[in-house]
Amino acid sequence: MSATLQDERDEAIRMIRDSAVGIAPRAGDRKRIRALRFKSPGFDPAVWRQMGEQGWIGLRVPEEQGGAGLGMGAFCALAEELGAALAPEPLVPGALAARLLAAAGASAPLEALVSGEALVLAAWQERANSFEVPGTPDAPRLFLPMADGARSFLVPVRAGDGFSLRLQPAEGADLALEPTQDGGSYGTLRPAGGEEVGTVSAAQMEAALEEAALGTAAMLLGVMDQAFAMTLDYLRTRQQFGKPIGSFQALQHRAADLKVQIALSRASVEAAAAICDRGGDREDAPAAQRRAAIARAKARAADAALLVTRQAIQLHGGIGYTDEADIGLYMRRAMVLANQFGSAGLHRRRFAAAQPEVEA
Amino acid sequence: MTDYNAMTDDEFRAEVRRFVESEYPTHLRNPPNRLHWDEGEEWFRIVQKKGWVAPGWPRELGGMGLDASKQIILIEEYERHGVARLPDHGVIMLGPLLIRFGTEEQRARFLPRILAGEDIWCQGYSEPGAGSDLASLRTEAVLDGDHYVVNGQKIWTTLATDANWIFCLVRTDKAAKKQEGISFLLIDMNTPGVTVRPIINLALHDEFCEVFFDNVRVPKENLVGEPNKGWSMAKALLGFERIFLGSPRQSAYALSRLKTLAERMGVFDEPEFQDRYTKLRCDLEDHKALYETFVAVLRRGESLGADVSMLKLHQSDLFQRITELMLEIGGENAGLLKPMEGNRDLHPAGQFIEARPTTIYGGSSEIQRGILAKAVLELPG
Ligand SMILES: Cc1cc2nc3c(=O)[nH]c(=O)nc-3n(C[C@H](O)[C@H](O)[C@H](O)COP(=O)(O)OP(=O)(O)OC[C@H]3O[C@@H](n4cnc5c(N)ncnc54)[C@H](O)[C@@H]3O)c2cc1C
Repeated sequence: MSATLQDERDEAIRMIRDSAVGIAPRAGDRKRIRALRFKSPGFDPAVWRQMGEQGWIGLRVPEEQGGAGLGMGAFCALAEELGAALAPEPLVPGALAARLLAAAGASAPLEALVSGEALVLAAWQERANSFEVPGTPDAPRLFLPMADGARSFLVPVRAGDGFSLRLQPAEGADLALEPTQDGGSYGTLRPAGGEEVGTVSAAQMEAALEEAALGTAAMLLGVMDQAFAMTLDYLRTRQQFGKPIGSFQALQHRAADLKVQIALSRASVEAAAAICDRGGDREDAPAAQRRAAIARAKARAADAALLVTRQAIQLHGGIGYTDEADIGLYMRRAMVLANQFGSAGLHRRRFAAAQPEVEA
Repeated sequence: MTDYNAMTDDEFRAEVRRFVESEYPTHLRNPPNRLHWDEGEEWFRIVQKKGWVAPGWPRELGGMGLDASKQIILIEEYERHGVARLPDHGVIMLGPLLIRFGTEEQRARFLPRILAGEDIWCQGYSEPGAGSDLASLRTEAVLDGDHYVVNGQKIWTTLATDANWIFCLVRTDKAAKKQEGISFLLIDMNTPGVTVRPIINLALHDEFCEVFFDNVRVPKENLVGEPNKGWSMAKALLGFERIFLGSPRQSAYALSRLKTLAERMGVFDEPEFQDRYTKLRCDLEDHKALYETFVAVLRRGESLGADVSMLKLHQSDLFQRITELMLEIGGENAGLLKPMEGNRDLHPAGQFIEARPTTIYGGSSEIQRGILAKAVLELPG
């Protein structure tokens, strides 16, 4: 990447972080999150619209199709901020649907989605902890996040080497919901009918899913980063035995170890995003190298976020085991995101399969 | 009354097994949360009828008079069958304390009511400012004629909403060294000035509480032992708690659920899973062996040393590691709020959360490590 392009990329990332603060601040209480959780649809449609207005849902969609045409570096920065703020709006799943609609050239539903007017969800998954898209016409589609707030579902159905995308309205759909730990829900859809809005290749499908996995890793990075910041505050202020508990060496060492995991996660996520962006829209970063980098980032972020949030509870003591303390909200979010778009184990297997033989 | 100690261990184990298998209410097996009194009272009445409310108390005081190793057998068989723990602070903590340090009057007044299920007790030690550093507690009791006047706050009081009595550590001498100004006081929770506020825990269950004391007048005779000797009395009871919290059953049960989950997720036969599962199995077997060495100490009639901290430390760690693997293999299901398919055995998220506080309560893991390092290993500092 040239120096100018690099500067432009850095600037886009900076701007995205700044604008995120307006809608989803990292610090502050979590009243908004608490008010929305365990209720339908689990997020705020007005905030979703704001996210559309900011260009976030279509951040990765090319400008000529109404998107912002930005790179994965910017997308990950945004996802990280939203993770740190625990924003329940389904940015990553929405962005996945936008990617697929753009690839299929389905402009009408794409416009409704990226403007934030509607939520469209890609109904690709047929098995738990899987990254494969069998595209079976009538198989139930699982784990649709915030499905209760969707206007329509984008159901990929295997067609030749690729997929035909069928858009099925949520109204009248056979949809069952189950609440999730973070206050949202997972829907199970039995696909029926739906109108074909275009086709995508298998490679486009996989690339879109990989971006969703990387976006989720970035979100986990935000979750762990903020949980850690809150825990450091607690270590500095909570007194036992006449001193701040953060002065006990056992806890200092624990905090130092967690910091290492967070730094590894950040480095891994950012490196993967840079590999994606190096190819720009030509997507000429060798697929295997890209896949290995993303798999590594998601595996690391999932494990580290669970470790950090678990330890955050431990270091808070009794108050950490209450629902009132916000730190618990971070662990719940990590519990849900850790296994979305592939668990750590699944991504380690993908890494092993994809790791290029020659390493720089 | 049966002298259970005259039975062999095997005979006694069979007796307990028969009892729970024939009489324990099926719908109460392995509940996901601690039961409230009204949820479990049905079982209490069955135990009461059998005369088994207080396994560790002497027979002349209405207990079963079991020696330590028979008590362990009873606990093991209860746990094996998934018998729920009732609000039992009166039986396992206050009773032994009164038997050892209380007056004749205190025993006559309180013990029968515990056996009859008339008084439900909770444990008021921790305070907002005094958790790991319990000796810094500040709830104070000031003598005023025939009464102590109590002001202050307790927190994390398990099942305080179910209790009508609370046993507290209170400060009675502010000038003394912190451990030496603490007394052990019994407080009727229906006294004016006592307020209880339930706290919802991470499992979204109302299990622990805050208890506030605002000029609560407590008769002087409710103080146990001598004034300002409460700390050493409370400490004398900790050994039993640590072996209790070090029992392998929690992990054993979690491991069986891990297997059920792995089979359901179709990963049980995968070499990678087998490797990790087998390690946990070995950890569990080794834990049982270690646990047995402590039970043997009790069986010989000796008391437990500070090294019993190892048991609680390792069991809570193992329990957590098992549930962490559940979370990993559960995939998206591990994010669900409720059990999968309505099956309580398939609830990775619930188990994961349930395992969290085991390294916090009953002396946190950091505190247990400190005890090992100093009291057992005699390291400096
Ligand atoms: C589920 C549950 C039930 C409970 N039930 C009861 C009850 O019925 N009655 C009752 O009285 N109490 C009860 N407790 C309270 C429990 O005993 C305390 O939570 C515990 O003592 C820890 O105190 P704390 O919460 O104030 O944490 P803190 O003491 O503030 O500890 C915060 C963190 O700092 C660490 N830490 C503290 N000091 C040190 C040190 N010197 N070195 C290294 N690390 C240190 C701790 O390990 C912890 O990780 C319960 C707690 C829980 C979670």
